[in-house]
Amino acid sequence: MQNKLSFHQSSVSLEIIGLPDYSNNENKDQISIISQWKLSMVDKPLIEGKVEHLGPIMDAFYFYSNLLLKNEIPIYESKLIDIKADNLYIHKIVLKSSKPNIKPLILKIGNSLLSDTINCFDQLNESSKVRVKKIDTFHNAPRKVRFGLNNRVKIFNFFMPPLIAICSLILFSSTFIYFYSPVEDKEKNELINIK
Amino acid sequence: MPNKVTIWKIRNSNPLRKSYVNNNIKPDELDALIKITVEMSKYLYPYIREILKSKENNQENSVIYNDFSKRFIELINERFNKDSIRVKKLLNQDENDETIIKSLITLSFCISNQGYQKLKNLLFDF
Repeated sequence: MQNKLSFHQSSVSLEIIGLPDYSNNENKDQISIISQWKLSMVDKPLIEGKVEHLGPIMDAFYFYSNLLLKNEIPIYESKLIDIKADNLYIHKIVLKSSKPNIKPLILKIGNSLLSDTINCFDQLNESSKVRVKKIDTFHNAPRKVRFGLNNRVKIFNFFMPPLIAICSLILFSSTFIYFYSPVEDKEKNELINIK
Repeated sequence: MPNKVTIWKIRNSNPLRKSYVNNNIKPDELDALIKITVEMSKYLYPYIREILKSKENNQENSVIYNDFSKRFIELINERFNKDSIRVKKLLNQDENDETIIKSLITLSFCISNQGYQKLKNLLFDF
Protein backbone atom coordinates (compact mmCIF):
# COMPACT_ATOMS: atom_id res chain seq x y z
CA MET A 1 0.00 0.00 0.00
CA GLN A 2 1.51 3.27 -1.13
CA ASN A 3 1.39 6.52 0.81
CA LYS A 4 -0.01 9.70 -0.69
CA LEU A 5 0.81 13.21 0.46
CA SER A 6 -0.70 16.36 -1.00
CA PHE A 7 0.44 19.96 -0.78
CA HIS A 8 -2.05 22.66 -1.73
CA GLN A 9 -1.74 26.33 -2.47
CA SER A 10 -4.77 28.08 -3.96
CA SER A 11 -5.04 26.77 -7.55
CA VAL A 12 -2.11 24.37 -7.48
CA SER A 13 -1.72 21.04 -5.75
CA LEU A 14 1.22 18.69 -5.65
CA GLU A 15 0.72 15.02 -4.91
CA ILE A 16 3.56 12.74 -3.88
CA ILE A 17 3.09 8.97 -3.99
CA GLY A 18 5.59 6.55 -2.54
CA LEU A 19 6.71 4.24 0.23
CA PRO A 20 8.61 4.61 3.49
CA ASP A 21 12.11 3.21 3.74
CA TYR A 22 11.53 0.46 6.30
CA SER A 23 15.23 -0.43 6.32
CA ASN A 24 15.80 2.95 7.99
CA ASN A 25 13.09 2.27 10.62
CA GLU A 26 10.85 4.99 9.20
CA ASN A 27 7.23 5.54 10.17
CA LYS A 28 4.38 4.13 8.09
CA ASP A 29 3.26 7.58 6.93
CA GLN A 30 6.73 8.65 5.74
CA ILE A 31 7.64 8.77 2.03
CA SER A 32 11.26 8.19 1.13
CA ILE A 33 10.92 6.13 -2.01
CA ILE A 34 8.89 8.29 -4.38
CA SER A 35 7.27 6.32 -7.17
CA GLN A 36 5.17 9.07 -8.73
CA TRP A 37 4.28 12.75 -8.39
CA LYS A 38 1.52 14.87 -9.88
CA LEU A 39 1.35 18.63 -10.20
CA SER A 40 -2.10 19.94 -11.03
CA MET A 41 -2.97 23.51 -11.83
CA VAL A 42 -6.52 24.71 -12.32
CA ASP A 43 -7.44 24.92 -16.05
CA LYS A 44 -4.09 23.40 -17.09
CA PRO A 45 -3.13 19.86 -18.10
CA LEU A 46 -1.86 17.57 -15.36
CA ILE A 47 1.92 17.29 -15.04
CA GLU A 48 3.21 13.99 -13.73
CA GLY A 49 6.44 12.14 -13.69
CA LYS A 50 8.93 9.92 -11.93
CA VAL A 51 11.19 10.82 -9.04
CA GLU A 52 14.14 11.66 -11.33
CA HIS A 53 12.05 14.41 -12.97
CA LEU A 54 10.87 16.06 -9.75
CA GLY A 55 14.25 17.43 -8.66
CA PRO A 56 15.14 19.05 -12.03
CA ILE A 57 11.64 20.57 -12.33
CA MET A 58 11.79 22.03 -8.81
CA ASP A 59 15.30 23.34 -9.52
CA ALA A 60 14.05 24.94 -12.75
CA PHE A 61 11.19 26.75 -10.99
CA TYR A 62 13.44 27.98 -8.16
CA PHE A 63 16.18 29.10 -10.55
CA TYR A 64 13.67 30.89 -12.78
CA SER A 65 11.96 32.62 -9.84
CA ASN A 66 15.36 33.82 -8.58
CA LEU A 67 16.18 35.28 -12.00
CA LEU A 68 12.80 36.97 -12.07
CA LEU A 69 13.29 38.64 -8.71
CA LYS A 70 16.89 39.64 -9.30
CA ASN A 71 16.00 41.62 -12.44
CA GLU A 72 18.06 39.30 -14.61
CA ILE A 73 16.82 37.93 -17.97
CA PRO A 74 14.28 35.28 -16.88
CA ILE A 75 15.16 32.30 -19.08
CA TYR A 76 15.83 28.74 -17.92
CA GLU A 77 16.64 25.97 -20.41
CA SER A 78 17.40 22.31 -19.81
CA LYS A 79 16.85 18.89 -21.41
CA LEU A 80 13.64 18.42 -19.44
CA ILE A 81 12.10 21.87 -19.05
CA ASP A 82 12.35 25.38 -20.48
CA ILE A 83 10.82 28.39 -18.76
CA LYS A 84 10.84 31.91 -20.11
CA ALA A 85 8.82 35.05 -19.64
CA ASP A 86 6.39 36.05 -22.38
CA ASN A 87 5.95 39.39 -20.67
CA LEU A 88 5.81 40.75 -17.12
CA TYR A 89 2.66 38.77 -16.34
CA ILE A 90 2.84 35.50 -18.31
CA HIS A 91 5.45 32.72 -18.22
CA LYS A 92 5.83 30.03 -20.85
CA ILE A 93 6.77 26.53 -19.70
CA VAL A 94 7.88 23.85 -22.17
CA LEU A 95 7.99 20.34 -20.70
CA LYS A 96 9.92 17.91 -22.86
CA SER A 97 9.18 14.21 -22.63
CA SER A 98 12.06 11.79 -22.19
CA LYS A 99 10.22 9.34 -24.47
CA PRO A 100 10.77 9.66 -28.24
CA ASN A 101 8.06 10.95 -30.64
CA ILE A 102 6.13 12.76 -27.93
CA LYS A 103 5.56 16.43 -28.51
CA PRO A 104 6.56 18.83 -25.73
CA LEU A 105 3.81 20.13 -23.49
CA ILE A 106 3.52 23.92 -23.60
CA LEU A 107 1.90 25.74 -20.69
CA LYS A 108 1.35 29.44 -20.19
CA ILE A 109 0.95 30.43 -16.57
CA GLY A 110 0.56 33.78 -14.87
CA ASN A 111 2.33 35.18 -11.84
CA SER A 112 -0.40 33.86 -9.53
CA LEU A 113 0.03 30.25 -10.68
CA LEU A 114 3.80 30.61 -10.61
CA SER A 115 3.75 31.76 -6.99
CA ASP A 116 1.29 28.97 -6.06
CA THR A 117 3.62 26.41 -7.64
CA ILE A 118 6.69 27.81 -5.85
CA ASN A 119 4.77 27.72 -2.56
CA CYS A 120 3.77 24.08 -3.15
CA PHE A 121 7.42 23.19 -3.75
CA ASP A 122 8.35 25.12 -0.59
CA GLN A 123 5.84 23.07 1.40
CA LEU A 124 7.33 19.87 -0.02
CA ASN A 125 10.85 21.04 0.83
CA GLU A 126 9.82 21.86 4.38
CA SER A 127 7.80 18.71 4.94
CA SER A 128 9.29 16.24 7.40
CA LYS A 129 7.16 13.43 5.98
CA VAL A 130 8.72 13.37 2.52
CA ARG A 131 12.38 12.84 1.95
CA VAL A 132 13.40 14.41 -1.33
CA LYS A 133 16.69 15.92 -2.38
CA LYS A 134 16.32 19.19 -0.49
CA ILE A 135 17.01 22.33 -2.46
CA ASP A 136 20.18 23.80 -1.05
CA THR A 137 19.36 27.15 0.55
CA PHE A 138 22.97 28.22 0.08
CA HIS A 139 22.60 27.54 -3.62
CA ASN A 140 19.60 29.86 -3.59
CA ALA A 141 21.38 32.46 -1.50
CA PRO A 142 22.48 35.52 -3.41
CA ARG A 143 26.07 35.87 -4.49
CA LYS A 144 26.76 38.76 -2.11
CA VAL A 145 25.53 36.78 0.89
CA ARG A 146 27.48 33.69 -0.16
CA PHE A 147 30.56 35.86 -0.60
CA GLY A 148 29.93 37.39 2.79
CA LEU A 149 29.53 34.08 4.55
CA ASN A 150 32.42 32.23 2.95
CA ASN A 151 34.98 34.96 2.53
CA ARG A 152 34.43 37.22 5.50
CA VAL A 153 36.45 34.94 7.77
CA LYS A 154 39.18 34.49 5.14
CA ILE A 155 39.53 38.26 4.62
CA PHE A 156 39.56 38.81 8.40
CA ASN A 157 42.30 36.22 8.82
CA PHE A 158 44.29 37.72 5.94
CA PHE A 159 44.26 41.33 7.11
CA MET A 160 44.24 41.05 10.89
CA PRO A 161 47.74 39.63 11.60
CA PRO A 162 49.68 42.37 9.71
CA LEU A 163 47.36 45.01 11.14
CA ILE A 164 47.96 43.83 14.69
CA ALA A 165 51.71 43.66 13.96
CA ILE A 166 51.81 47.25 12.72
CA CYS A 167 49.75 48.51 15.66
CA SER A 168 51.92 46.73 18.21
CA LEU A 169 55.08 48.05 16.49
CA ILE A 170 53.78 51.61 16.72
CA LEU A 171 52.81 51.17 20.38
CA PHE A 172 56.11 49.51 21.25
CA SER A 173 58.30 52.05 19.43
CA SER A 174 56.40 54.98 20.95
CA THR A 175 57.76 53.94 24.38
CA PHE A 176 61.34 54.67 23.14
CA ILE A 177 60.52 58.37 23.18
CA TYR A 178 61.21 58.28 26.93
CA PHE A 179 64.64 56.65 26.50
CA TYR A 180 66.15 58.79 23.81
CA SER A 181 65.76 62.55 23.46
CA PRO A 182 67.59 64.08 20.46
CA VAL A 183 67.16 67.63 21.89
CA GLU A 184 69.04 66.83 25.07
CA ASP A 185 71.74 65.15 23.03
CA LYS A 186 72.20 68.28 20.94
CA GLU A 187 72.53 70.45 24.07
CA LYS A 188 75.25 68.15 25.44
CA ASN A 189 77.17 68.37 22.15
CA GLU A 190 76.95 72.16 22.23
CA LEU A 191 78.38 72.24 25.79
CA ILE A 192 81.29 70.05 24.75
CA ASN A 193 82.03 72.32 21.77
CA ILE A 194 82.03 75.44 24.02
CA LYS A 195 84.62 73.84 26.31
CA MET B 1 9.76 44.88 18.81
CA PRO B 2 8.38 45.90 22.20
CA ASN B 3 5.42 47.87 20.81
CA LYS B 4 3.88 49.48 17.72
CA VAL B 5 5.60 52.81 18.43
CA THR B 6 8.97 51.13 17.91
CA ILE B 7 7.83 49.84 14.52
CA TRP B 8 6.61 53.33 13.65
CA LYS B 9 9.99 54.81 14.65
CA ILE B 10 11.95 52.25 12.61
CA ARG B 11 9.69 52.89 9.63
CA ASN B 12 11.03 56.44 9.62
CA SER B 13 14.51 55.13 8.83
CA ASN B 14 13.38 54.85 5.20
CA PRO B 15 15.15 57.72 3.38
CA LEU B 16 12.28 57.98 0.89
CA ARG B 17 9.85 59.04 3.62
CA LYS B 18 8.93 62.63 4.43
CA SER B 19 9.47 61.91 8.11
CA TYR B 20 12.92 60.41 7.53
CA VAL B 21 15.14 60.26 10.61
CA ASN B 22 18.74 59.24 10.17
CA ASN B 23 18.79 56.26 12.53
CA ASN B 24 20.94 53.23 11.95
CA ILE B 25 18.76 50.12 12.06
CA LYS B 26 20.24 47.42 14.27
CA PRO B 27 20.50 43.86 12.87
CA ASP B 28 17.82 42.66 15.33
CA GLU B 29 15.44 45.38 14.19
CA LEU B 30 16.07 44.54 10.53
CA ASP B 31 15.31 40.87 11.25
CA ALA B 32 12.13 41.85 13.07
CA LEU B 33 10.98 44.02 10.15
CA ILE B 34 11.61 41.18 7.69
CA LYS B 35 9.67 38.77 9.93
CA ILE B 36 6.74 41.19 10.16
CA THR B 37 6.75 41.60 6.36
CA VAL B 38 6.72 37.81 5.85
CA GLU B 39 3.89 37.32 8.36
CA MET B 40 1.87 40.10 6.71
CA SER B 41 2.47 38.52 3.28
CA LYS B 42 1.19 35.16 4.59
CA TYR B 43 -1.91 36.85 5.91
CA LEU B 44 -2.50 38.91 2.77
CA TYR B 45 -1.52 36.21 0.24
CA PRO B 46 -5.08 35.73 -1.12
CA TYR B 47 -5.29 39.48 -1.86
CA ILE B 48 -1.77 39.63 -3.36
CA ARG B 49 -2.69 36.68 -5.56
CA GLU B 50 -5.92 38.29 -6.73
CA ILE B 51 -4.09 41.50 -7.68
CA LEU B 52 -1.52 39.52 -9.69
CA LYS B 53 -4.24 37.42 -11.31
CA SER B 54 -6.36 40.39 -12.31
CA LYS B 55 -3.45 41.83 -14.28
CA GLU B 56 -2.86 38.51 -16.08
CA ASN B 57 -6.41 38.21 -17.29
CA ASN B 58 -6.90 41.76 -18.38
CA GLN B 59 -3.61 43.53 -18.86
CA GLU B 60 -5.08 46.83 -20.06
CA ASN B 61 -8.09 47.37 -17.83
CA SER B 62 -7.78 45.36 -14.68
CA VAL B 63 -10.12 46.79 -12.03
CA ILE B 64 -8.50 45.18 -8.95
CA TYR B 65 -4.97 46.05 -10.08
CA ASN B 66 -5.97 49.63 -10.94
CA ASP B 67 -7.57 50.08 -7.50
CA PHE B 68 -4.43 48.76 -5.83
CA SER B 69 -2.16 50.94 -7.96
CA LYS B 70 -4.31 54.01 -7.22
CA ARG B 71 -4.13 53.40 -3.45
CA PHE B 72 -0.39 52.73 -3.70
CA ILE B 73 0.17 56.08 -5.41
CA GLU B 74 -2.09 57.86 -2.91
CA LEU B 75 -0.04 56.51 0.00
CA ILE B 76 3.24 57.45 -1.64
CA ASN B 77 1.94 60.95 -2.33
CA GLU B 78 0.86 61.25 1.26
CA ARG B 79 3.90 59.86 3.03
CA PHE B 80 6.95 59.94 0.77
CA ASN B 81 9.29 62.76 -0.15
CA LYS B 82 8.14 63.77 -3.63
CA ASP B 83 11.38 65.66 -4.38
CA SER B 84 13.30 62.39 -4.51
CA ILE B 85 13.90 61.02 -8.03
CA ARG B 86 13.16 57.46 -6.88
CA VAL B 87 9.82 58.55 -5.45
CA LYS B 88 9.02 60.40 -8.68
CA LYS B 89 9.64 57.13 -10.54
CA LEU B 90 7.28 55.30 -8.19
CA LEU B 91 4.62 57.90 -8.82
CA ASN B 92 4.94 57.69 -12.60
CA GLN B 93 2.17 55.30 -13.66
CA ASP B 94 3.92 54.38 -16.91
CA GLU B 95 7.05 53.24 -15.08
CA ASN B 96 5.79 51.85 -11.77
CA ASP B 97 3.97 48.78 -13.14
CA GLU B 98 7.11 46.66 -13.11
CA THR B 99 8.08 47.78 -9.59
CA ILE B 100 4.61 47.00 -8.22
CA ILE B 101 4.37 43.58 -9.92
CA LYS B 102 7.90 42.55 -8.87
CA SER B 103 7.27 43.64 -5.28
CA LEU B 104 4.04 41.63 -5.18
CA ILE B 105 5.77 38.58 -6.69
CA THR B 106 8.58 38.88 -4.12
CA LEU B 107 6.07 38.94 -1.27
CA SER B 108 4.08 36.04 -2.73
CA PHE B 109 7.23 33.88 -3.00
CA CYS B 110 8.11 34.41 0.66
CA ILE B 111 5.09 33.01 2.49
CA SER B 112 6.57 29.64 3.42
CA ASN B 113 8.17 28.85 6.78
CA GLN B 114 11.54 29.63 5.24
CA GLY B 115 10.15 32.83 3.72
CA TYR B 116 12.06 34.94 6.22
CA GLN B 117 15.40 33.57 5.01
CA LYS B 118 14.33 33.93 1.37
CA LEU B 119 13.31 37.56 1.77
CA LYS B 120 16.47 38.36 3.71
CA ASN B 121 18.63 36.86 0.96
CA LEU B 122 16.74 38.81 -1.68
CA LEU B 123 17.09 42.08 0.22
CA PHE B 124 20.83 41.57 0.71
CA ASP B 125 21.16 40.94 -3.01
CA PHE B 126 19.13 44.00 -4.00
